[in-house]
Amino acid sequence: MATRNRSWLFNKYRDALKGARLPTSSSTANLRPRSGGAPAIEMASTSLLHSKRSYTALSTDDPGNSSKGTAPIGLPPSWVDVSGEIATNVQRARAKMAELGKAHAKALMPSFGDGKEDQRNIENLTSKITNLLKRSEKRLQKLSATGPSEDSNVRKNVQRQLATDLQKLSVELRKKQSTYLKRLRQQMEEGADMEMNLNGNRSKEEDDDWDDMMFNEHQMAKLKQSEIVESVNELAQIMKDLSVLVIDQGTIIDWIDYNILNVATTVEEGLKQPQKAERTQKQGGMVMCASVLVVMCFVMLVLLILKEIFF
Amino acid sequence: MVLVSAVRDYVNRMLQDISGMKVLILDSQTVSIVSVVYSQSELLQKEVFLVELIDSISKSEESMSHLKAVYFLRPTSENIQYMRRQLSNPRFGEYHLFFSNMLKDTQIHLLADSDEQEIVQQVQEFYADFIAVDPYHFTLNMPSNHYYILPAVLDPSNLQNFCDRAVDGIGAVFLALKRRPIIRYSRTSDIAKRVAHEAAKLMYQQESGLFDFRRMDISPLLLIVDRRDDPVTPLLNQWTYQAMVYELIGIQDNKVDLRSTGKLPKDQQEVVLSSEQDAFFKANMYENFGDIGMNIKRMVDDFQQVAKSNQNIQTIEDMAKFVDNYPEYRKMHGNVSKHVTLVTEMSKIVEERKLMLVSETEQELACNGGQVAAFEAVTNLLNNENISDIDRLRLVMLYALRYEKESPVQLMQLFNKLQSRSAKYKPGLVQFLLKQAGVDKRTGDLYGNRDFLNIARNMARGLKGVENVYTQHQPLLVQTMESIIKGRLKDVDYPYVGNHYQQGRTQEVIIFIVGGTTYEELRSIAQLNASNSGIRFILGGTAVLNTKRFLKDLEEAQVIARTNANVV
Repeated sequence: MATRNRSWLFNKYRDALKGARLPTSSSTANLRPRSGGAPAIEMASTSLLHSKRSYTALSTDDPGNSSKGTAPIGLPPSWVDVSGEIATNVQRARAKMAELGKAHAKALMPSFGDGKEDQRNIENLTSKITNLLKRSEKRLQKLSATGPSEDSNVRKNVQRQLATDLQKLSVELRKKQSTYLKRLRQQMEEGADMEMNLNGNRSKEEDDDWDDMMFNEHQMAKLKQSEIVESVNELAQIMKDLSVLVIDQGTIIDWIDYNILNVATTVEEGLKQPQKAERTQKQGGMVMCASVLVVMCFVMLVLLILKEIFF
Repeated sequence: MVLVSAVRDYVNRMLQDISGMKVLILDSQTVSIVSVVYSQSELLQKEVFLVELIDSISKSEESMSHLKAVYFLRPTSENIQYMRRQLSNPRFGEYHLFFSNMLKDTQIHLLADSDEQEIVQQVQEFYADFIAVDPYHFTLNMPSNHYYILPAVLDPSNLQNFCDRAVDGIGAVFLALKRRPIIRYSRTSDIAKRVAHEAAKLMYQQESGLFDFRRMDISPLLLIVDRRDDPVTPLLNQWTYQAMVYELIGIQDNKVDLRSTGKLPKDQQEVVLSSEQDAFFKANMYENFGDIGMNIKRMVDDFQQVAKSNQNIQTIEDMAKFVDNYPEYRKMHGNVSKHVTLVTEMSKIVEERKLMLVSETEQELACNGGQVAAFEAVTNLLNNENISDIDRLRLVMLYALRYEKESPVQLMQLFNKLQSRSAKYKPGLVQFLLKQAGVDKRTGDLYGNRDFLNIARNMARGLKGVENVYTQHQPLLVQTMESIIKGRLKDVDYPYVGNHYQQGRTQEVIIFIVGGTTYEELRSIAQLNASNSGIRFILGGTAVLNTKRFLKDLEEAQVIARTNANVV
């Protein structure tokens, strides 16, 4: 595919025009709202002042009347930090998932120890990941904004994208857990079969010992299973919450112009509401009452005067 | 596919080098261009968190300096004005400008003049100036398409705009494909000749450096034809899925708007019909109505089985499996209900307007049949109360196009009947059509009755019988394409521009129809491409036509012609 870069020509024109403009920059410069003075010093001081002003304006409700001149280099709004935090959490969770995969594989390999180390490692990792996901999900809810504005759209979209990532991670985690569980169960059964076969060949006293050990193994397995089931439940909850935010691929909501047009309509709606409010207020009953009372006062005064005159 | 992937590549390149949160600003044309190839979720993955139109963004004053602005616009003077205003009151941290076609030096100068604060980081030309609606199909979606019908003297400036847009679009297609074609055009059409010559001037003279791709293989062929060579195809009722939806309901940028058709649940009011995202649609878009019905029934049965198994949840395992499969299930459900809704809607319309009856006569008029029988059939249908106005007009037009010279008396009778029955359409429109696209004005053999070989072929087809009466019509384009495959496209009918002659067999042909393409023609192209003839065809036009749109163009052109005639 062919493209052509016009930036060189553009920069050339821009520099040429800047050179032509500088010697004549004075109060008539249309952008800077400051007047007169030695141009060089003036520009330096104004730019300093402007940047100072934009640093104080952290919230997105800045009317921006003074910072129209320079491209505002202020700090981004606070929700950007929240989204950055969530993104780093997602990255961390992804790294831990890779570790978890490895730990699962190691635990499933037949080993001579009782594998408690591996189990603890797996539990540790799983709980850490689940915590990360839960925390991220809570922070995600904070990103919701109210009111129709472009900024709220940006926030909503950021929310959507992070929600998609979180949902993918939680699905992956659940799949990993379920396969691990299945394989564990398989191994237990094989182990139990083996035990039963061996049992048949042993004498009675050793049977009890074997039974005890089998019993312990079963208990441990059950414990593992219940823990895993619990974390599965937690994740299912998270998935439910997230699914509301995520877009389905291929549906109309996934179409770009649907989103653009929606913005237009919500902004219009947003304009209508305060207009309506203004109108109802103007028609308020208070004004009516007050005017009626004043008129009544005048009428009574006139009647009084007339009574005095004719009496 | 190649066009869709070219536009996607352009969008990818626009977004990939810019890190951080971005806002994508488009104009009303580029939004169509981008939305048919890129979805919102893909944009979100590229960190584009806001998409806006350039005229609405200039109304708001919020400053969002944490976002970087990526503009993708057509290089029109209006857009340049908007850009200048926005550069002088910047709202975003950085500005990256991409234009979908070639910028003039004066425009760059204007932009540089407004960029006092040096916030523009790059200005590039990315030639995605066409809407890649289907594989092998692109359109320019021009709002004032009707100018191709008028002679140049009536409205020269608008016609110049029309030509410019067409030439820009064609240039962009070839730049995206990185080829420079040999150009041929339809002899009898002035506008095709004009577009061809201007395109050649652009590619071989004005911007020959840009188009000089230095490839050793054979140049592709660009064939520019006029819609008026084949006015029959847009007038016919269609019975293949995609064409039928477009004809009866209407598709815009691969979206179907069902809001006007009564009470539907909210998520079914506007649906997406894209062959890339919908496997069922991709398999069925060229099937006829009967087959579609059966395929949909099969799909519904499959879905019902899945739904039944989902209701059998006994254990926790089943529940887990259900939750895992739920997104798939929901997607399938949405898909099934979308297609069922569309087919139900279309069946309703077919029933109301008695389209089976109308279409049978239409096909007879278009393909074969004697004049007397045709006249009787048309008269009967005109007398039938249930036929809608547009169908009546359609029938009279088809009859007039076919039997223009034979028995003018009967033609006048039909006109009078049309006038008395139809309040909306006047027979003047039919006469206008005949003047523009009559037998003297057409290149090529529309009815197969000029060339002896074609007459013989028609008789053979009549004897053999057809598979399906409703889809027996083949657009004129098929004949043209077959001649190209055999290498026998006549120079007399389709002359070359300039001195570039064809050496060897072409392997890629782009057919551009000035005035618009139809989905029936797209179907023929897709079928030919699938048949491995060694040549790949791509179809493009200034718009995509159905009967309503074609008639609207004719009406608007007629109004302009009439006012100008009055003035003169």
